[in-house]
Amino acid sequence: MAAPSKTRKTTSSKPKQAAKATSSKPKQTAARTAGSKPKQTAKTAGSKPKQTAARTAGSKPKQTAKTAGSKPKRQAKATGAKQQTGIYVYGILPADAKLTSEMPGVGDPPGQVRVVYSDGLAALVSEVDVTQPLGSPEDLRAHKEILDASVTELPVLPLRFGAVLASEDAVAEELLAANRDEFTAALSELDGRAEYVVKGRYIEDAVLDEVLSENKQAARLRDKIRGKNPDATRDARIQLGELINEQVTAKREEDTRVLGNAMKGHCVASIVREPTHELDAAHVAFLVDTDQEEDMERVIENLAHDWGGWIEVRLIGPMAAYDFAGSAEPEG
Amino acid sequence: MTTGMQTGGARPSPTGLADVIDTILDKGLVIDAYVRVSLVGIELLTIDARIVIASVDTYLRFAEAVNRLDISQEKETLPDLVGDMQQGGAKHKTKGVLEAAGEKFREFAGDGREPEPAGRRSRREEY
Repeated sequence: MAAPSKTRKTTSSKPKQAAKATSSKPKQTAARTAGSKPKQTAKTAGSKPKQTAARTAGSKPKQTAKTAGSKPKRQAKATGAKQQTGIYVYGILPADAKLTSEMPGVGDPPGQVRVVYSDGLAALVSEVDVTQPLGSPEDLRAHKEILDASVTELPVLPLRFGAVLASEDAVAEELLAANRDEFTAALSELDGRAEYVVKGRYIEDAVLDEVLSENKQAARLRDKIRGKNPDATRDARIQLGELINEQVTAKREEDTRVLGNAMKGHCVASIVREPTHELDAAHVAFLVDTDQEEDMERVIENLAHDWGGWIEVRLIGPMAAYDFAGSAEPEG
Repeated sequence: MTTGMQTGGARPSPTGLADVIDTILDKGLVIDAYVRVSLVGIELLTIDARIVIASVDTYLRFAEAVNRLDISQEKETLPDLVGDMQQGGAKHKTKGVLEAAGEKFREFAGDGREPEPAGRRSRREEY
C-alpha cells in the first residue's frame, strides 16, 4: 500500500517536483467528488489516485443512522455469548464521506473499512476481534494511512490509536450523535486544512564541532580524555557528554524558534512536539491551509537550504490533524 | 545516526514506523472522554511514543563521538606515514568501542519503545 503521507528530505537541491511526480499519489480513503474539484496540479502527474471513498455530490447518503455496506456476519453470532468482536474507530468525518473502494483496516486478519453515518457525521470503522491484541506495525500503519488518505479531500478528526466500541449502533449513537455539536465544530475548523510535521536533526559532527569551538570547558574536557583509557576518564567523559547535551538542548530551543518564525503567516497553528532523539533540532507540527501548501513547502525548503550541512530537515505530510484534534472538548 | 549528506534530497521515502508511532499513539482525539458505556477494552501491544531522557549513556555516547571526531580530524592533519602507522592501530581500537557504544545507544533509544509500565501485559514484537 502506498504511504499516503509524503515523507521527504528537503534539501537545497531542487529535484523536488520531479521526485514528487514519481511518488504515487496517496490512496484516498474518502474524498469529495463533484462540486468541489480537488485542486491538484502538478502533483497528480502520476497515476490516478485510487479512491476508497468519495464525497457524494449533493445527494445525501442513503444510510442514515446505520452502516454502509453489509452487516458483519459475526455480529449475530456474538449475541448471548461473550463479545468477540468490536468496532474499531479510526476517525470522524462529515456525513458526505462515502467509501469508493475496499481498504483493509487493523487486526489480523484485517476487517474492511466501513462508514457509519449519523445525522451529519460519519465515522470510519472496521470490525476487530477483541480477543486479539492490536498494535503490530501493520495495525499502526493502517490506522494512520486510512486517516491520512482522506485528509486532502475531507476534514478528518483523527482518533488516537486503539478506540474500540461495542457495536456500530454505539458508534452512531453514543459517539457521533451524542457529541454532534463538538465534532461538527471541530470538523469545520479542520476543513481545508492538513497537518504537516517538520523534523530537523543535527548532523552530529557539525554540532559537536560547534559546541567544542564555542565552549571552552567542553574543549578542555575533550583534551582531558583524548587518548586516555575510557574507564580511567569516565567522570570526565560523563561531564563532557552532559555539557554537550545541555548545549544541544539550548540550540534546539533556538532552532525551533527559528523554524516557528519562518512559518509565521504560513500556518494556522503550530505545536512544538517533544524531541524524539537527542540530536533533534526541531520537531514541530503545523496546521496548514491546503491552498497554502506550496508556500509552506517553499519556506521549509529555504530553511533546509540555510541549514544545509548543519541540520537535516524532513517535511512529513499532509496528514490528519492529530496534534490539533484536541480542540473538540467534550462537555462535562 | 546521521551520516554524511543526503544531498540527493527531496526523494520521498515512505513514512517510517517511528514517525507513525510519534503521531498516532499519543496524539489524536481520545475517545474515552466521549463514550463511556460502549467502550470495549482491548489489549494493545505495548509501544510507547518515544521520549528523550538524557542519561549517562547519552553522555558517554556524546563523549565517544567527540573522541571519534578528534581522531578523524587528527588524521587529516598528520603526515601520511605517521598517520597510517598510528591511526591504523588507534582506529581499530576505537571502532570496537564505538560499535559497542552504538549498540548501547540503540538499546537506550529502543527504536521508539520504552520499557513498558508494570502491570500492562506486553507482547512486544521486534520491528
